[in-house]
Amino acid sequence: MIVSRYLRIGARFARNGLVRELSFRTNFVVTVLSEVMWLGMMLIFVEIIFANTKNVRGWDNHQYLFLLGTHFVISSIFETFFFGNLQRLSELIRTGGLDFVLLKPASPQFLLSFERVDYSSCANALLGVSLCVYAAQKLGVHIGALNVALFVLLVLSGVATLYALMFIFSTSSVWFIRQTSAAHFWFYLTSCAKYPAEIYQPLARGVLWFALTFVIPVLIVANLPANAMVRQGQFHPWLVGYALFAAAVLVILSSVIFRWALRWYRSASS
Amino acid sequence: MRKYWCVFKIALADRFVYRADFFIATFLRFTPIITTIALWSAVYAGGADRRIGNLTYGEMVSYYLVVMIARAFGSMPGLASGLAKDIREGELRRFIIQPVNYVIYHLHLRMAHKSVYFVMATVPYALVFWWCRAYLPGWPAADQWAPVLLTLVLSFFLGFLINIAVGLLSFWFLEVTSFLFIFMVSQYFLSGHQFPLTMLPDGLREAVTCLPFAYETFYPVMVVLGKCSTAEAWRIVGVQALWIAVLAAVVSFGWKRGLRRYAAFGG
Repeated sequence: MIVSRYLRIGARFARNGLVRELSFRTNFVVTVLSEVMWLGMMLIFVEIIFANTKNVRGWDNHQYLFLLGTHFVISSIFETFFFGNLQRLSELIRTGGLDFVLLKPASPQFLLSFERVDYSSCANALLGVSLCVYAAQKLGVHIGALNVALFVLLVLSGVATLYALMFIFSTSSVWFIRQTSAAHFWFYLTSCAKYPAEIYQPLARGVLWFALTFVIPVLIVANLPANAMVRQGQFHPWLVGYALFAAAVLVILSSVIFRWALRWYRSASS
Repeated sequence: MRKYWCVFKIALADRFVYRADFFIATFLRFTPIITTIALWSAVYAGGADRRIGNLTYGEMVSYYLVVMIARAFGSMPGLASGLAKDIREGELRRFIIQPVNYVIYHLHLRMAHKSVYFVMATVPYALVFWWCRAYLPGWPAADQWAPVLLTLVLSFFLGFLINIAVGLLSFWFLEVTSFLFIFMVSQYFLSGHQFPLTMLPDGLREAVTCLPFAYETFYPVMVVLGKCSTAEAWRIVGVQALWIAVLAAVVSFGWKRGLRRYAAFGG
């Protein structure tokens, strides 16, 4: 009953998003174009790196490309569903617009997280998938039902992890009047997560690597699915359990923090 | 001039309102540098005295550190998009009927923002630079101080004018958000923010270093690092001044033409 109600709301959000997208068609084309450019420039950067070294802490050129593709897929899914919404959340808290969401007879976290669907980002997932397929073929990796299923599971758990982290960040606007946007935080998060986790191991005796893998698990988001697919030697199955566990804990935590934060919400200037 | 001094003072006070946010932002801003150090130490692994893009490992790290200083001068977050929004939503009409020039008004806002930023960010910057002191080349030579300071100040004006020029496009195209994203991406790479432009293949490098973007970050960083002779440093300062003059002309021309098209929507 409840599930079907939320599915109906979700479907309505998806339809509204489509209507919005179709009314700004040029915007769609330009967004896709800009992502292609971004990917192109990242590829140039990777080329430059591998023109100067054979491997980066155990990742060769094509494995690295696969990692980049995976990162692209994960961030595109995140941007399609959550980015715009979570960016708006800080703004709603600051301006008092959150009132209108809290008044509605549905879970505010659900409404805040899913209201806007940005289809133009969704097209970029295809770019990421193409890059992954290209890299996997170059590496001679067999693409079968089982490893693809595992890959998809880990990608979704990565999206959930990023969602929870970003949701907590945006919620914290209740305490800090904020001008730093969620966009900046997202940029910092992804600029950390899109590289091989191993590069952090020599820093600060591995403390940083440990913290970013197990405490704020941004390093397993893209690394783990990529390892599962193209670096089986470095893939530890128990990490799958940990990744799913961490994603679940973080999502629950985000909900707990959100409800707690509402006690401080002052409904400013409304 | 007094009215702009008021603008400056108000913006100064406004900046101090968001203190907690400021410290979080400054702290976060240093996180990519950790990734950068980690990545390049992996690339240089096995030969720290190797040269990549004509830079040793230590020089590579200091490049990225100094990029942060250059960006502190030249970056104008929200300027182009703010102008686009003011044009799109009709906010600009406030400025048309007031005896205040929009561009000069915003120049003063940005100067105030930067002043506060430099005061408050000195401590975190000093800490990070002290922590990374092993990589840094030392203070500039006596005869380099003038071009070093000038090139940084000019990169502020260059960054300001580039952003205003891009924001002006909003007079002709109503929805420019996605275009601004493309602009940001290109600027990120073409200015040398993502990697030193010396790493590009010859032909591409020559083309990219002709653009004004390179004078926003890449060249100022090279001057600060002492990677060019004093004469070369002065030449860079000169080209920066030239670009500023060109862009100021473009902005002033574009502004006049744009206002003729301006329809003050949302009134």
